[in-house]
Amino acid sequence: MIFLAGYQFDWRVVTDRWHLFVAGAWVDLWVAIIGFALACGIGLINALLRTSGVPIFSIPSFLYVQVMRGVPLYVLLLWVYFGIANITGLTFTSFQAIVIALALTGSGYTTEIFRAGLGAIDRGQMEAARSIGLSRVRTYGHVILPQALRIVVPPLGNTFVGLLKGATIMAVIAVPDMVFLANELNVTLFTPFEVFAAVAAILIVMVLFFSAVVYLLERRLRIG
Amino acid sequence: MSGIFLTYSYDWSVIPKSIAFFERGLGVTVRIAILSVLFSLVLGLVVALVRMAPGPIGLIGFFYVQVFRALSLYVYILFVYFGIAAAFKLDFDPITAGVLSLTLLNSAYMAEIYRSAIQAIEPGQREAARSLGLGTIGTFVNVTFPQAWRIAVPSLVNQFTDIIKDSSVVALIGAPDLMYITTERVSFYQRPFEFYTTVAGIYFVMVVIVAQLAWRLEKRLRRHLA
Repeated sequence: MIFLAGYQFDWRVVTDRWHLFVAGAWVDLWVAIIGFALACGIGLINALLRTSGVPIFSIPSFLYVQVMRGVPLYVLLLWVYFGIANITGLTFTSFQAIVIALALTGSGYTTEIFRAGLGAIDRGQMEAARSIGLSRVRTYGHVILPQALRIVVPPLGNTFVGLLKGATIMAVIAVPDMVFLANELNVTLFTPFEVFAAVAAILIVMVLFFSAVVYLLERRLRIG
Repeated sequence: MSGIFLTYSYDWSVIPKSIAFFERGLGVTVRIAILSVLFSLVLGLVVALVRMAPGPIGLIGFFYVQVFRALSLYVYILFVYFGIAAAFKLDFDPITAGVLSLTLLNSAYMAEIYRSAIQAIEPGQREAARSLGLGTIGTFVNVTFPQAWRIAVPSLVNQFTDIIKDSSVVALIGAPDLMYITTERVSFYQRPFEFYTTVAGIYFVMVVIVAQLAWRLEKRLRRHLA
């Protein structure tokens, strides 16, 4: 402990405010969930456009995926929050900006996942279902989607975990999440080790929890 | 809401005026990314070997991978640059802290890439090499690794694209990288749209170049299998 003599550890900074950290983590989680839900919606539509075989749809869809996967989330966030706000005159709240940025980044990945999932279902399935008299909608509902879901759920889960980690960048534009709280406590109380260790620990627990869920889902869905 | 898109007059001339700044920032970004990828290529292999070791040693590797894959670079860089530095009286400069954080995080991902590549090599190869009289190390260096490397390279190069993108976060602790100088220029000219669009384009081009490289390497390395 000698070499640590200069720094007084004071974990009460964290333990006295654990409810604030939990509230902050909750913000990260919710933002990630909303961003992920939007990313899934955009991704599904985009995957259908991509696989449509119509170049006016599939080419922009392809470029969209490349761009969203090639631009860092942090750049995208500032682009949405400051750039788009400036040219359109729309002012996003910082909360909206991070949700949009996560949805954009996430949709780059979800598009590819849905594309692969839909592509993996054999065409004969569609033909067989149609020939036994199921309508197109029922074929999708009862035959294609249940099978495609099994394929897409694990990678979508991984995308969610990625977005949850990415969501922590929201502190940069002052959304009051757990990192923002830690930054504030660090400035006012100067306890960087404790507060950032706490945030790191919370993030690790959340991510490992959802990774475990994804792993279990993956194992379950693989059977049959 | 009236006049959306119409009231704003674009001024792209601020971009060519800032070329010298972009060059300087890009230099720092490239340096950080290349150092991080080289260090994590080495550290990742070490972690993979530790992870595959039997017993408690393997467990250490397992935890290393789980912990570092569960962190975001932003949270980790704050912890290193402010937390560790204050508690242990270390004086990091932002670039060192950035390279260190990027290396630790990415070595965990690379360890998993190496591991799955090594496990993809048929056990018979190792057994054959051993029965020819090669030692454990000789077998790994001469037989297992050269084959695993071919499998791992495309994924490792793809990991490089993540390093390039993630490196933008080092701007937040004051490393004068591409993103840092961009934010600086934005506050100077008050032209966020022009600057952030340009910088997004620069990152995109870097990522596309590296992804292309990965794709070409993959094709080349698979040639012998065709």
